[in-house]
Amino acid sequence: MKPEAGAATRAASPPSIRRRISVAMAAWSAACGMAVGGAVWLAASYTVDALLDDVLRASAGLMAELVAVRPRSIQGQASTVGEPVLNPDIDRFAWQVVANEQVVQRSDNAPKEALRMGLDAGFSNSAQWRVYSLPMPDGGKVLHVGQYRADRDKARGEVTLSAAVSALVVALLGYFWLTRRLRQELQPLQTLSDRVAAWSLRTDQAGQALGEPEREELRSVHTALATLAERLAQRIAAEQAFNAHAAHALRTPLAGIDAQLAVALLDCPPQLAERLQRLRGATARLQAVVAALLAMFRSGTEMQCGRVNLCELVQRLPMPGLQVHVSPELEVWADADLLAAALLNLLDNSQRHGAKQVWLHAKPEGHLLVSDDGPGIAQTQRLRLQQALDEQAYEGSTGLGLMLADRVARMHNGRLRLLAQPAGFAVLIELGPAQLHQ
Amino acid sequence: MRLLLLEDDALLGEGLRDYLRSHSHVVDWCRSLLDLQRLGDEPFDAWIVDWQLPDGSGLQWLKGRRASGDPTPAVMLTARDRLAERLEGLDAGADDYLVKPFAPEELAARLRAISRRSAGQAQDRLRLGDVELDFRGHSAWRAGVRCELTGREWAVLEALALRAGRIVPKNELERLVLGSQSELASNALEVHVAALRRKLGRELVTTVRGMGYSVART
Repeated sequence: MKPEAGAATRAASPPSIRRRISVAMAAWSAACGMAVGGAVWLAASYTVDALLDDVLRASAGLMAELVAVRPRSIQGQASTVGEPVLNPDIDRFAWQVVANEQVVQRSDNAPKEALRMGLDAGFSNSAQWRVYSLPMPDGGKVLHVGQYRADRDKARGEVTLSAAVSALVVALLGYFWLTRRLRQELQPLQTLSDRVAAWSLRTDQAGQALGEPEREELRSVHTALATLAERLAQRIAAEQAFNAHAAHALRTPLAGIDAQLAVALLDCPPQLAERLQRLRGATARLQAVVAALLAMFRSGTEMQCGRVNLCELVQRLPMPGLQVHVSPELEVWADADLLAAALLNLLDNSQRHGAKQVWLHAKPEGHLLVSDDGPGIAQTQRLRLQQALDEQAYEGSTGLGLMLADRVARMHNGRLRLLAQPAGFAVLIELGPAQLHQ
Repeated sequence: MRLLLLEDDALLGEGLRDYLRSHSHVVDWCRSLLDLQRLGDEPFDAWIVDWQLPDGSGLQWLKGRRASGDPTPAVMLTARDRLAERLEGLDAGADDYLVKPFAPEELAARLRAISRRSAGQAQDRLRLGDVELDFRGHSAWRAGVRCELTGREWAVLEALALRAGRIVPKNELERLVLGSQSELASNALEVHVAALRRKLGRELVTTVRGMGYSVART
């Protein structure tokens, strides 16, 4: 795998519960609103039609009585001029009296042709009219009372549209309310996440760090996390105790060995001096590695980051036979012990692979480039090593040096990158944003 | 300088003792608090204290000495490297904190630094009249000419120079320079002082009759 392929292996963001439920609720609200709106539409249409038909029938009955009682006082084409006018016209209705399929009387807004043929009573439809026919008591005549269908459609539309819009508005309001409630109900999960994120695994806080669950459903999660925390705290306490013991057991003899060697060097025969000096250099390297290993595997404690002057740091690293070029003012923000161990191992690698000179360069964002004049490695081997580093599959793939350097970079929220070089070997130590490992 | 080394590890303790002695320091090495108790109330130029001792805590011992008003400079030696532990050590009264493992050269440099600070000096060199002392090189010049001093002579000169301007009682100077062997050689101090006067001038070291010796601060 190429280095950049590592990014592709990172897991995509998992789906959000809130977003998924919000989408589901939005879909449900829309479907529910449309279904309710449609149902209301149908029901309102039917009801409005029935009401209008009732009114039409009642109007027909009333008109029939008027025409029968005072046939000459009704205004219409067939009425007598000068007689008192009874004006039953209303905008929404028209009427006509038909005899032998001829209109003998009608309202002003009624057509001259019969609204309907025949003498049957009941409702009928024409292109423009909804008609109710009522035979007259004197026989041979029929009263047609009609209503513009456009008026009926308009009335029906207003009622049903209002009802449907109301249903949709209610559904929309319901959606927003439910979404808000959902956010409120998921907030305890966020609170729990924040508490877990800010959790210090100190033993005295292990049981109480999460506080009381804010929802009954979270009680089991709290219990499980508290149990896990207790175990972790115990494990860390044991590891810290072991680490303290190991630190004392390793550091003190190493200091003793170095002190004894320093004394021996003071008045040793010249033929032994070089050998003792090499031994002292090896002891110093061992000290740096031990210090880094102890720091690296000291779980549950913070790193001790600060501004590290690379020039001063490198001067402390015993590396005979290797010329290290570093700018006097080059500084990075890191844990000095860990960085010393990483550099020591990289420099040791360079030396063992025949390099005579090593350069340290600062790169943007606090990255550190370590390059040498050694023979370098083949492209295939570089990619294989990079893959092992990306996957942290160190065993059998990388040496201790690269593994330690990678672990140090990762502890600084960074990583190690092996760069393609025309000559020599180059490693970029990405230390990650300083604020993340302060 | 006369140094108290409180360190239980034989390998480290012996190595540091021999290394510091090779640099003309007088070193009393105690491997436990009981050993220290047996040593009695002796004056030291600096203490080198291990935190963890077989019969107690070096840190608690240091706290006790500070509580009793003893200002002797102290370097804490320990394998504990966490920030909280470093702070605890310094707050307990340590003037410096050295995490094991360390190079003995660094310890020697830190001892020079704290003795320099406690004497109110800014540099490793001190001028007393026409005599100049180099604490780092353990050497002295008179009128620009280097004078060869023995280890004991340097120890006497250093003890007086670090206390320049005040009278150092003879028995205290003896114990600072000769350590626990001071009782065995009662006239040794006079011999070393006479040698210093011969090499660096009679006016450098003043005898205050019945009280002790002093060098004038310039």
